[in-house]
Amino acid sequence: MTALDPTRSGPARRRMTRKQKRLAMLAAGGLVLAIAAALVLVAMRDTIVFFYGPTEIAEKGIAPGTRMRLGGLVEKGSVQKGPGQRVVFSVTDSKSTVKVSYEGLLPDLFREGQGVVTEGVFEGGSSFRADSVLAKHDETYMPREVADTLKKQGHWQPGEAPAPSAPAKR
Amino acid sequence: MIVEIGHFALALALGVAVVQSVVPLWGVARQDRALAGVGQAAALASFLLVCLAFAALTLSYLRSDFSVENVVANSHSTQPLIYKITSVWGNHEGSMLLWVLILTLFGALVALSRRSLPERLRAGTLAAQGMVTVAFLAFTLLTSNPFRRMLPAPAEGQDLNPLLQDLGLAIHPPLLYVGYVGFSITYAFAVAALIDGRIDAVWARAVRPWTLLAWVFLTLGIAMGSYWAYYELGWGGWWFWDPVENASLMPWLAGTALIHSTVVMEKRDALKVWTILLAILTFSLSLLGTFIVRSGVLTSVHSFATDPARGLFILIILVVFVGGSLALFAWRAPLLRQGGIFAPVSREGALVVNNVFIATSCATVFIGTLYPLALEMITGDKISVGPPFFNATFIPLLVPLLLLLPIGQSLAWKRGDLLGAAQRTMLAFAIAIAVTVIVFAIRWGGPVLAPLGVGLGVFLIAGAAFDLGERIMARASGLPAIWARAVGLPRSAWGTALAHAGVGISVIGIAATAWSTEAIGVLRPGDSLTSGRYRVTLESVTPRTGPNFRAEVARFSLASGDRVLLPVEAAKRLYIARNMPTTEAGIRTDGLSQAYVSLGEPQGDGSIAVRLYDKPLVLLIWIGALVMAFGGGLSLTDRRFRLAAPRRRAAVVPQAAAQPAE
Amino acid sequence: MLIWIIFAAMTGAVVFALLWPLNRGPREAFADTADAASLYRAQLGEIDRDVARALIAPAEAEAAKAEAARRLLRAAGDEVGAAGETEASLRRRRASSALALSCVPLLALLVYGAFGSPNAPDLPLSARIEKEPSRQDFAMSLARIEAHLAANPADGRGWSVLAPVYLRQGRFEDAARAFASAIRHGQDGAEMFAGQGEAQILAAGGVVTAAARESLSEAVRRDPRNPRARFFLAIGQEQDGDLPGAAAALRALLQEAPPGAEWTETVRQRLQSLPGTGPGAPGDDPAEAIAKLPSGAQQEAIRGMVDGLAARLRDGGGSAAEWGRLIRSQLVLGDRDAAASSLRTARERLAQDAAALTQINALAAELGLKDATP
Repeated sequence: MTALDPTRSGPARRRMTRKQKRLAMLAAGGLVLAIAAALVLVAMRDTIVFFYGPTEIAEKGIAPGTRMRLGGLVEKGSVQKGPGQRVVFSVTDSKSTVKVSYEGLLPDLFREGQGVVTEGVFEGGSSFRADSVLAKHDETYMPREVADTLKKQGHWQPGEAPAPSAPAKR
Repeated sequence: MIVEIGHFALALALGVAVVQSVVPLWGVARQDRALAGVGQAAALASFLLVCLAFAALTLSYLRSDFSVENVVANSHSTQPLIYKITSVWGNHEGSMLLWVLILTLFGALVALSRRSLPERLRAGTLAAQGMVTVAFLAFTLLTSNPFRRMLPAPAEGQDLNPLLQDLGLAIHPPLLYVGYVGFSITYAFAVAALIDGRIDAVWARAVRPWTLLAWVFLTLGIAMGSYWAYYELGWGGWWFWDPVENASLMPWLAGTALIHSTVVMEKRDALKVWTILLAILTFSLSLLGTFIVRSGVLTSVHSFATDPARGLFILIILVVFVGGSLALFAWRAPLLRQGGIFAPVSREGALVVNNVFIATSCATVFIGTLYPLALEMITGDKISVGPPFFNATFIPLLVPLLLLLPIGQSLAWKRGDLLGAAQRTMLAFAIAIAVTVIVFAIRWGGPVLAPLGVGLGVFLIAGAAFDLGERIMARASGLPAIWARAVGLPRSAWGTALAHAGVGISVIGIAATAWSTEAIGVLRPGDSLTSGRYRVTLESVTPRTGPNFRAEVARFSLASGDRVLLPVEAAKRLYIARNMPTTEAGIRTDGLSQAYVSLGEPQGDGSIAVRLYDKPLVLLIWIGALVMAFGGGLSLTDRRFRLAAPRRRAAVVPQAAAQPAE
Repeated sequence: MLIWIIFAAMTGAVVFALLWPLNRGPREAFADTADAASLYRAQLGEIDRDVARALIAPAEAEAAKAEAARRLLRAAGDEVGAAGETEASLRRRRASSALALSCVPLLALLVYGAFGSPNAPDLPLSARIEKEPSRQDFAMSLARIEAHLAANPADGRGWSVLAPVYLRQGRFEDAARAFASAIRHGQDGAEMFAGQGEAQILAAGGVVTAAARESLSEAVRRDPRNPRARFFLAIGQEQDGDLPGAAAALRALLQEAPPGAEWTETVRQRLQSLPGTGPGAPGDDPAEAIAKLPSGAQQEAIRGMVDGLAARLRDGGGSAAEWGRLIRSQLVLGDRDAAASSLRTARERLAQDAAALTQINALAAELGLKDATP
């Protein structure tokens, strides 16, 4: 960026030398960059959510009230539909389990035994209040974070989930 | 046999692309036109060969030839014809073939555009394009070969991912690819200029139509993709700041900056180095986008199935082409003749401001998209950077840019008059303020930012209209004179005004999303649900069988206040071959607004969960994008691009005679 | 062989196309300077036109023209010295030709050789279906029926053919749906309902569900002699603990069997396994053990077993099916009060599970226990 320009400079400054013009432009460009950098840094502090698996929650001693993403497998047989749109289910990495409560419509591909990522607030103990539930739009998909978590816990055979065996089901 | 011919044609194309990337370059270096001519022949030949390959694959899909692995994995004999065709690129291998097809198409177009390109530049460009083609052909053939056979052939295929069985998919990826890949040509132009060491207004004028072309298609592709996500994912959202979406937004932003900076370069012979850098960065971001989508390094809500080996290959391509071109840039750019300096307050100054803001906002998107990856590599922590981050960084950078846009647009080249420009935009500003106040009054108590956003949009539209009006009306009176001036105005002036107005239209649509409302309820037939202005009543839930799916279709009657609208249908489909459910949202367009119904799980006792949205003015978002693209297209047809440079001697001589040499 | 000839022809054509430009006559230099100059001349022309249309002020036009003219002069000064002896250029052409001649076929053969299958013919589906109907494999014909039904979903006869095929293939849920489609589209004979019942039972892992029972009853209603429906109804009775009833039903089925029916053997085996005459330790299966006792002791033993089940369920747990069995058994034993009490307990225990609750309620309705007062 050799030539940058503030629109703010009025007619009075028109008689600047070449060098001054260049400097003014660089300064203005630098200003915009600095503002952007400040915005990014502030936003980084306030808006970023960490991703944990159930075991990490237990091990890291995360404070209740922390906003985060939780991923793992939906435990088989754990999905309970309550009144209205309330759903309670357990997310597990087969070592630890976290109970998730959620109010809303579940995605199409939310199924027991399948990977899921939820975002919400950790309420302490092993309970989690989710405000969004994501399941991936591909039946062979395993969210990467979930796959990593499961690998860490030693319950992952690559090729187990994604292999679309040739004449499937037939 | 046809399958194998297609396969062999693709393999041949690889050899041709190697020749294309070597011989013309040598010709440029040695001033040998014959060698440069090989570049054109090679570009045309490789395009025809890839065409042949693509046709062969398409035919395999049409005939349900299940001896081709790719067809087995992504097609089903019962699919409707249109989806058999779109299946060709609805998967990784096929979409790579489409990518290569478009890559070679652009090469062929450059080879054929004899009139508008200096020969040396064309030869260098074709060579650079040849290198990109080699890389992607090798990638396709070695890691993602669509012609792999499966013998003995299974009786039936596994069907295309149901989410992709949609007309949106038929249009979306090809548009997006023409955009992505179109920027490979500007990249090739930049590399050619760096190798040759010559860059001037001729270069800028030669590059501009290509940049515009790619930009128009990328704009359409992003808009289509966004609308597709809106109605197909069933969440009612139209932009998720998802890595895959960001991957297309970043080249779009860089391309937008590039369009503006090439104007400066052509008119004022300035900003040369920066423009070259932008051209390189734009395509690098396209490559990065491909890497993100194909490798699965970033989790995303919608992408193809991914494979680490492919990711590594793309990463290598990325490193070679980005790193190589940047190194070339660092080496050669200082040798380029520096462009002129100019007054800060002028059209070119305003365009520089545009570039600074757009490049910076692009950088924030870049950081937000890749920071999680970097952090995970460094500390091992996994984070997600979601919409709040982008709302807090991208929007504050974009708003001042949009506020300055109408003022910059009315500045003159070379020496602008800030006061005059401010005065000229005053009327537009006053209208915008008035609209904001009125909207505030009508929607008292609603979200504060929405009326301000609407006002900003109105400012942009009015600014564009007044600027155009100014240029038509000034120093002319009487309808015939005004008409003559309107017709005489260059198409690019109309295009610019339209594109800027399009931005304004989209901004209004986006601002209006703050007023959208959502309601969830569990309904039995006869029950109603109200959200915002709309009320739906569940009429019936009936099963229905499609060609390759079964569906539960819920029929709703729809009313807005006392007005009864046409009924709307939403469905849950189950695609049999993959045993995969999808949600088909029911959308009823009401003027510029939409009522949006999507279904949740059936509750077992005959009732069903229903989500209803009132989406006011939501169509404006995409209409604005269409207007932008149309404006770009209009600029593209500007006769100056066609006249451009070398009408060869015959055409030039009379003009030269008319112009006494200075 | 033909394919290799085609490949050779393709390669030849491509190489020829690449070599063609090298064949150009005497060497020409690039005409770029002219290109640049013509651009600036065109720019000057544009400025004049703009002035003529009063699109720009004359003063601005003058300045713009001056600048374009300056650039025009500079472009003219950029003239590249066009030189180079013919000898070198000939060498270059030969080298380029060699590259095209070697690189194109070599790379193509290398890559194609690694991944291609030159001997594999195309196998479009339509041709496969039409060609050689004798060697047509089973899956092919199945695919053909499926394709036909996808296009004509209202063809009840088609579904009635497909459904038993699914059943044999072990695709029980698909089979149940196919039977249902056949019934919906006019094929509503007893055999279809019986088939649907069987598919539902097998899909539920062998449990005679309420839905299956409904289908089977429907089949018997249409044809009281339908052996398949009666056989599975008997198994249902057996699962509910009504062993004497089941045995009686199976015996009746055997008596009424037409001579030479293949299914009698299956029924006989089932019947034999009921009273426990078959091999296997007597203590293994309580039902078998009980069946071997004399009838007075049998009644006692059954009562003991039912009481045991009742005690176990009262202590906790128990699925809807188990509760159902208990209630049924108590009724069979004539203990209506105990059944009603079990029903109440079951409803309390299973209150959380909507599906189980409906099952229990359906059972109660069926047995006429609904209005049982505490």
